Amino acid sequence: MNFESKIRQIISGSDKTIDKEQFINNLTEARFKYKLKRSQAFSGILAICLIITVALTSYFELDQGAIQSGRNYYFSDSNIFYSEFDEDNFNNNDYLLDDIAIYIMEEEDDIWTAFSFLDEIEFDNFINYIEEES
Amino acid sequence: MKKDRELIQDFQNGDEEAFNELVRRYLDLVHGFFQKLTNDEMEAEDLAQTVFIKLFKSLKNFRFKSEFNTYLYRVNVNTANTYFKRNKWRNFLHLDQTVEPIYNDNLQDREWKKEELWNAISKLPKKQRSVVMIRISEMLPFKDIGHILHMSEGTAKVNFHHGIKRIKALLGIVE
Repeated sequence: MNFESKIRQIISGSDKTIDKEQFINNLTEARFKYKLKRSQAFSGILAICLIITVALTSYFELDQGAIQSGRNYYFSDSNIFYSEFDEDNFNNNDYLLDDIAIYIMEEEDDIWTAFSFLDEIEFDNFINYIEEES
Repeated sequence: MKKDRELIQDFQNGDEEAFNELVRRYLDLVHGFFQKLTNDEMEAEDLAQTVFIKLFKSLKNFRFKSEFNTYLYRVNVNTANTYFKRNKWRNFLHLDQTVEPIYNDNLQDREWKKEELWNAISKLPKKQRSVVMIRISEMLPFKDIGHILHMSEGTAKVNFHHGIKRIKALLGIVE
């Protein structure tokens, strides 16, 4: 007997039959468990995605909000030294300054105080406008 | 009687009873394969169940590029390889239970056990092991084995030859 036949003889020792219906029942149970596990894993992943989305959204929303702007806009060096009120930008913001001047005029009880202030900052546009109106 | 292809298509369309019919049809083949591989009846049943669970997962995307039979053998071999890998670790962690080959001059006549044989087969490289497994358990021709394992007939033969040679060496059989 050659080696291959001998191996076959050894491994073909037992040929027990299996109860097919019982096996299918067990398999159905295992399949159900697999489906359950898969749906649990899916729900878990979905929950993690949702948490991450909410966390990222909150983070980016806060980035635009009071805390971030308070810290970065009002107190950062760039805004102190290079603000819109820089001398270089002064003439480019005529409309903005006009609005500020009107606001000062409206809010200030004593109009002459407002005028003297505008005169101090050498803001002529508004004074000329008032004179033209009158 | 419906053909395998029709049953698979029915299963793909949501009919789980079609899958059960496939199980009924191929259970003896799958269970028999693992029965030859292991001494433990429960383990053979567990491995058969693993194969059918794998099929349950994968048949929904089966594209009929190969025969279902061939595909089933491939799943069997992969499951067996995983089983050997798992056992390798198990043996490694329980060194006292490992079967030690006995070397003496009368080994050619000694009746070695099934466990000893599979222990030797499990030590073969994956390709050799897969070819040897299918050849000795299913007695398939090398052409079919090559088709199942994506290799030529010649490669299957060479792998089998080297595998057998190595098994003999592991079992201490002098040619």
